[in-house]
Amino acid sequence: MEQTVTPSRTVAARPGAALPTAAALLVGVGGLLLVCLILPVPGEGAAPEARAWLAGILALLAVGALGVRGAAQGMSRAAQVAPALLTGLLAVLTAEGLLRAYAVPAGLIPTPTRVLAALWNARTVLLQDTYTTFVLEALLGFLAGTVLGLALALLVVRFRFLERGLLPYAALFSSIPIVALAPVIVKAIGLDWPSKTVVVAVTVLFPVMVGAVRGLQSASPLHLDLMHTYAAAPTRTFLDVRVPTALPFVFGALKVASSLALISAIVAEFFGTNGHGLGFRIQIEVGRFGLDVVWAAIVLASMAGIAFFSLVSAAETRLLPRR
Amino acid sequence: MLEPGPAVTATRPPWLAWLAGLGPMLIVALIAAALYWSLMLAANLGPAARTLASGAELDCRTALACASQLRNPVVPAPAQLAQGFARLSTPVTSPLALPYNVGVTAGETVLGLVLATVTGLGLALLLVASRSFERATLPWLVASQTVPVVAIAPMLAVLLGQYGVQGFLPKAIIAAYIAFFPIAIGMSRGLRSADPLHLDLMRTYHASGAQTFGLLRFPVSLPYLFTALKVSVTAALVGSIVAEISTISFSGLGKMLAENSRASDTVALWVIMGYGALLGVTLVALVNALERWVTPWSRR
Repeated sequence: MEQTVTPSRTVAARPGAALPTAAALLVGVGGLLLVCLILPVPGEGAAPEARAWLAGILALLAVGALGVRGAAQGMSRAAQVAPALLTGLLAVLTAEGLLRAYAVPAGLIPTPTRVLAALWNARTVLLQDTYTTFVLEALLGFLAGTVLGLALALLVVRFRFLERGLLPYAALFSSIPIVALAPVIVKAIGLDWPSKTVVVAVTVLFPVMVGAVRGLQSASPLHLDLMHTYAAAPTRTFLDVRVPTALPFVFGALKVASSLALISAIVAEFFGTNGHGLGFRIQIEVGRFGLDVVWAAIVLASMAGIAFFSLVSAAETRLLPRR
Repeated sequence: MLEPGPAVTATRPPWLAWLAGLGPMLIVALIAAALYWSLMLAANLGPAARTLASGAELDCRTALACASQLRNPVVPAPAQLAQGFARLSTPVTSPLALPYNVGVTAGETVLGLVLATVTGLGLALLLVASRSFERATLPWLVASQTVPVVAIAPMLAVLLGQYGVQGFLPKAIIAAYIAFFPIAIGMSRGLRSADPLHLDLMRTYHASGAQTFGLLRFPVSLPYLFTALKVSVTAALVGSIVAEISTISFSGLGKMLAENSRASDTVALWVIMGYGALLGVTLVALVNALERWVTPWSRR
């Protein structure tokens, strides 16, 4: 547990393979880095001979990929984490190199360095957009939808009438595309952020409700019988048997809903905002061919999405009993 | 009065039981309709009063009566919805009417779903075949899922347009990009789900790798494929609609949504939403039917 895991140690798990792997990684990553440094930024300087550079970049990528393959051997923690990170690094460097080699104009595909620059230059606007989209719309809507969905699930489980009357509609509603729902709600409520929050809440509601109902109903009859023989009060049975069996289902639904929430917030912004939000920013910058800002917004949105997902996952590992 | 309840239900014909099951749904629908009606009145009352006060020529006297007849309602009244439905649905084959546009979107979605299935299957095979590949790419695939993929659609549309990919295809590609992930993950799980006992049996039969795959691994994974497809089909529908909104398109649900959203035609938006819902439900039902046809053994 306390052993420090470094890449060199990982590969040492298979003696003899460490050196070639390290060499391949060094050649791949270093070579690509060098290529990116040598080639001019698109639009500046003479256009390089793309063919030759392409061959070189692909060869370096192949060497790097071999290195990644070497690093993926073994069962250590580094062997499980490092390959993905290295792949990401290689992919970004390759993209940068290819875009420079072919002198692709920034109005079409911006190079990763340009995206980073845009991320830094437009940081105040972008951070404000992220706050609107992520906190005000996605997070608030997610919370409201989850609370409502759980409440409805409790009612559905308690009253058999609602199970037969309401549940089929929930399944029906979850196959409605969000995009068709969003403009209606935005038109009815207004352009400010609450309308987007409502869209998010509506899209989150049904998966959470269906998941919670399925979970609450999946309690083992044996356990329920046991509680019955203990003459346990209904609330005790509910808290000790039904809720624990329902939690994995609920968290499964919440994970799905977390990515759904961000998507619907962004889509809903396509149908009218008061000038804030990542979806708005993406749409308006695409129109102005400011694709570096678009990519920067996408990077922020994905980071928000990953953060959201890990938040739910962290809550899951916290609340779920170890299996 | 004396016969026991269960015996009665047992002798009931199945269609009657089915009908009895519809009862609660009907009651809930009625309650929802009543709620909708009062919500509609409440939402439209303010604008109606304002319109009346501004002295506009209307066929109604009180704000309450006007609430269901506004030119541009906040929430449309049922009669207005019916009118809008008739206006937007006829003539059925016209490129300006909704049925034609729904057909276009459905075509894009299905094409996108086919592309997504091919990509997803290929990725699943690679994921199952090589652990290095899995370790190197799976985290990125998962990350691509938490990325709000629709955010990429407008940009992807510009990009594909630049390289001459136009018409049906860019929308299908965007739909596929959104839909491939559940299929890849579901299938990689499905391809690993073969019973070890059965795999052992194949070994005792001295079956080749291809035979084991074709006779055991692949059929066993089919239920996983269909579970994934049900998730993917709505995702693909969202993808193709978003793609239509953010590309220059001349037909499709997304184009009609964008157009009417800009024109603030609330009634039309509601009707389009109805059609979108119908399309979503139909596509899911089609996947269900396909599942029943392809994997009859996995019926619950």
